[in-house]
Amino acid sequence: MSDVGETNSHTGFDTIDHQPAYIYTPSGTNDDALERPTKRRKVARGRPSVLQPHDSINSLVFEPLLGEIETLECVQQRQDLFEKCWSETDARIQSILNEANEDTLAEVTAFVDSPGDINQDDDERVPASFIVTGPNIASQDLLFKQLSARLKKEINGPIVTLRSGDASNMKAVLKQLIRDATNQRSEDEELSQERNGRKLLNYDLDILQSYVKKHGSQRVVVAFQDSEAFDTNLVVDLVILFSSWMDRIPFTLLFGIATSVELFQERLSRAASRCLYGFRFDVEQTSSILERIFQSAVANSKASLRLGSEIVASLMERQHDHVQSVQSFIVALKYAYMCHFYGNALSILTDPSTSSQLLLKLMKPCHFEAIRMLPSFRKLIELRVESQELDRARELIQDDAILVQEIEGALESKDGNILRLLRAFHVFASALSEPPSGIDLYMTIFEGALSNSDYLKRALDSIKRMTPNDLVVFIQRIKGAIENGSHELDLDGWADEDEGLIRELRDVEMKAVGLSENSADIEKSIRSSDAIHSKGLRTTVIAQRVQLSYEKSTITEAEKEFINLIDHVSKLLEQYFALENPKDLFLNELWLCDSADSFLDVFAPRPRAAIENALSAPYEYLTCEIGGSEEGLSSTHPPTAIIYQSYLEAGSLINMADLWTTFHEILSSKEGDEGDEREALMQFYRALADLKLVGMVKQSKKKADHLAKVAWKGL
Amino acid sequence: MASMFSLPSEVMLTSLISQFPCREQQIRCLATLLAIRGAPSRNIVLYGLEATGKSAIAKALLQKLSTEPDNSLVNGDSDVPLDQLRYAVIKSAECITGRHLLEQTVGAVAKAVNWEGNVGRCENVAQLVVELGRMLEGWRTSDKEASNYRIVLVFDGIDHQREAPPTLLPGLARLGEIPLDPTSCTSLVSHTSTSPPTPSPNSSKFSHLLHQPPNSPSGAKETQETWSRFTSAVYDSLSKHSGRDILSFRSISLRLWPRFIKPILDGQLSATPFSRLLVANRSLFQNETVLIPGIISEPPLAKPGALVQAGNESKGKFQGIATQLPYYSRLLLVASYLASFNPPRLDTVHFMKSASSKRRKKGGGTALSRSSTTKRRTISRKLLGPQAFVLERMLAIFHCLKDDADSRGRHGNGNDRKRERQNGSADIQMAIATLASLRLLVKMGAQNAGDAMDGACRYRVAVGWEVVRGVARSVGVEAEDYLAD
Repeated sequence: MSDVGETNSHTGFDTIDHQPAYIYTPSGTNDDALERPTKRRKVARGRPSVLQPHDSINSLVFEPLLGEIETLECVQQRQDLFEKCWSETDARIQSILNEANEDTLAEVTAFVDSPGDINQDDDERVPASFIVTGPNIASQDLLFKQLSARLKKEINGPIVTLRSGDASNMKAVLKQLIRDATNQRSEDEELSQERNGRKLLNYDLDILQSYVKKHGSQRVVVAFQDSEAFDTNLVVDLVILFSSWMDRIPFTLLFGIATSVELFQERLSRAASRCLYGFRFDVEQTSSILERIFQSAVANSKASLRLGSEIVASLMERQHDHVQSVQSFIVALKYAYMCHFYGNALSILTDPSTSSQLLLKLMKPCHFEAIRMLPSFRKLIELRVESQELDRARELIQDDAILVQEIEGALESKDGNILRLLRAFHVFASALSEPPSGIDLYMTIFEGALSNSDYLKRALDSIKRMTPNDLVVFIQRIKGAIENGSHELDLDGWADEDEGLIRELRDVEMKAVGLSENSADIEKSIRSSDAIHSKGLRTTVIAQRVQLSYEKSTITEAEKEFINLIDHVSKLLEQYFALENPKDLFLNELWLCDSADSFLDVFAPRPRAAIENALSAPYEYLTCEIGGSEEGLSSTHPPTAIIYQSYLEAGSLINMADLWTTFHEILSSKEGDEGDEREALMQFYRALADLKLVGMVKQSKKKADHLAKVAWKGL
Repeated sequence: MASMFSLPSEVMLTSLISQFPCREQQIRCLATLLAIRGAPSRNIVLYGLEATGKSAIAKALLQKLSTEPDNSLVNGDSDVPLDQLRYAVIKSAECITGRHLLEQTVGAVAKAVNWEGNVGRCENVAQLVVELGRMLEGWRTSDKEASNYRIVLVFDGIDHQREAPPTLLPGLARLGEIPLDPTSCTSLVSHTSTSPPTPSPNSSKFSHLLHQPPNSPSGAKETQETWSRFTSAVYDSLSKHSGRDILSFRSISLRLWPRFIKPILDGQLSATPFSRLLVANRSLFQNETVLIPGIISEPPLAKPGALVQAGNESKGKFQGIATQLPYYSRLLLVASYLASFNPPRLDTVHFMKSASSKRRKKGGGTALSRSSTTKRRTISRKLLGPQAFVLERMLAIFHCLKDDADSRGRHGNGNDRKRERQNGSADIQMAIATLASLRLLVKMGAQNAGDAMDGACRYRVAVGWEVVRGVARSVGVEAEDYLAD
């Protein structure tokens, strides 16, 4: 640097010295492509000719797949299918969401309508309802939208929802309040903002008062959607203000509270809490809503797309670890639908409304080729080979016509297979008195692991502990589940399809009833099968010695019969719950969506890690020519990456002069001899500005000419 | 000719005095100062503690004075000039800005003097003077019968005016000097004071409180009796030692009353031996939670035990959060607590992986440094309360805790891929932002300065040790292991 500095000083005046600003022109600017480093990612080649018939394609959003040889008809089909499937699922979800808050809405509306008996005429306290929503802030939006819609219908008066984002100070809040309240009756002419010839300020509640008087409003509802996020002083001021207006404007407040009412009260000042009174309303917990949505949208028999266990597990883990939010679950579900129909060319085969013959007509050789690539096809072939059906296997691979037959068969048995799984799911969930959570059970079943799972083992164990009366109740529950089906899952009863099982169960039930009646008659109760088998331990003390002896319990005839019954039932159940793994079925890829990796990338992006990675290893993102391919400090890296590298090596305070020296040395080593120092300096500035923009450095107050390191790598 | 000086009528004053017991001196004083033929003064400052009746008395007195039939007319003395007293009350609590106050003042005066013309904008005290001058002039010309005019402006709680310009108070105080009208007068009512007016004895309060509560058990006389004895019991047990202002006393009495008379309504006890009733309800008077104004109104006839339980519930108020928060938010909360209460220099002792054997050692430092700290007698960090920490430091602590919790808790078999995924994830940043917006973490400095996720942003934890310990245990971390001292 000193060399350069000297030469500069010796050359005397430079023309640039007297320019008001230095214009930095990066070298090699002639070519636009060079200025911006080319990305390594493959960018799509020229758009093929599919999009030519313009008018019919207008609505087509999906891209042709299978190396772009998929016919437009199929693309259209996929898109239509997606829209249909999702709108059905969405409608089901929305109906659940609407009724989920129904109780809360009704309670709050009733409260707003007649805020309790405590209110006296001279009371200046503001009626308030505290709606405890739980820490999921995202769900408050929906709730308050529903609330305001409901209140608008039932209450005569304006409803205003305030959010912390647009409430910076008192004036702004009041302005918004008055504007929103007075604009709610659009048919009216502009409310006069004057009183007695005096023009009112736009934050004067007098305006609201005259509005209330004019329309005879019964209530003015002010809702604080995320009341914790409001500035506490602001809430206090507003509450006191509202309370002093109570004799003229009938305010009612709604607070959305994420933590707890006690915490909220703790933040309020005494004066403000004296001005409030009201009730607490609890909203249904997210987890229970989630379970219901899961049952109706994922496990429902009418859902056209099944989620695999892996994907459900990753979704549920995210719910548990990061966000407890119904909205994010719905979004993820929609994304699964989108991915499936957008990225899977074979998804056209899942259309339930069209017959398989019609569907198969759409199929082109490329589709068959794609099917032959599926893992499930491979499994099918392996199965054939194992069972020595080599000819069939060869035909499947070579002959499209044979494959079509197989596909047809698989499609027809598909619904039956799914139904069987769901019925087992329903029976299992309703048979036990303490069923496992529906989501866990679903995951186990769709892994095909129910027959070996703890759930089944525990259920069978519990049968062994049952007395005849318990057994009767248990069997009745199973029978009820089979006969009545399930409303949430949209399963109709299927007693006539499972006649064998029903008959067996009825037999067992009759016998058990008989046994328990008999035992009641002879006043000797029948022990559970477990109790019968366990040996009684008898202790006797003889001559100050303890003797332990096992006592074989005697088994009565009735008990023997009962043990047989129990064994029979557990065998039946074991048989019933021996389910096929859906992933072993041929063509399961068509209706089972199970790849969790893409989900995490989409829903849990890692912006910080991405930036850090890009800066420390630019060669992963840029072409080698510019980025270089070696690790560590390299002059071929972009300047920001070079600075970032030395930034990582520095301590918490970075000397600017040192940083500049390092940077300059690295740059000049590239060009062999010392290049234009001014240009290097410009690059240095630019790189530092980049780092500052990303939020990694800031000016240090401790030392002059130093930068403070703000971000460490890998956090 | 009637005398220049005459006090307001005694009838009116006595009725006021009976309405406001223990305020006789103040009422007479104020009446003299306000009455037109009294000893008018330009500025009157009413000061005193909260809820001592300043505003109420001023309003009631002015109400009477302005409607008082002129007693000179009673004498049939026709040439006696007619007195005209008007007043306007401006509540400062309802005025958002200083300008709003001035606008309200103009509006109130216009209403008081029945001004029908146009009222201009009023942005500062100077404009206020002009506007007031116009109005008072108009009043005098329209109302020619009277010869003595007087307007009283009551600024209620002017000392708590929001966004008041510095010239507001002096400006208003000198309003009376301006020769608009020789008899205009400003009266200021303010709340803060150093020496309150004579505190009223408790008996007076009862007399004020003798409005009947809504549900009375038996005959009116009996109720009256029970109520007065009940209020004295409440005063002796609760109100005397807490705030002595009448409003809180009244609200406590009204809150306790339904529960107090519940045995009578149920027919278990009768009202006549009051002592028995008192003994049966003694838990009501022993519990102090009723003194804290609750924003949740309890059901009107709660079980007697309900109030006792309320105290225990407050302990569990954070527990709900601990179970509702997602896993990583809980970890972040614990990390924030540690960052807030551990001094940064000890972080290496607690969190460095290379020195894991030292991790359990509390306090850190060498023997030499310890001896020096005892000499200096530093205050324990816990007593100093939560300190601000830099977000980046908390994140570093969070990652240490996460490794620990994951290995001990659910990911015992070590799923490395999953663990890697949390670094720099948007979900973690969202969790921090959520905690901040729930005010479990409090951002230091200006609210809008800098991004919430900026690494240099400073935060402070807003939950206590008990909560954090519970939260930490729910994720399988023992917070004590990491805490200095």
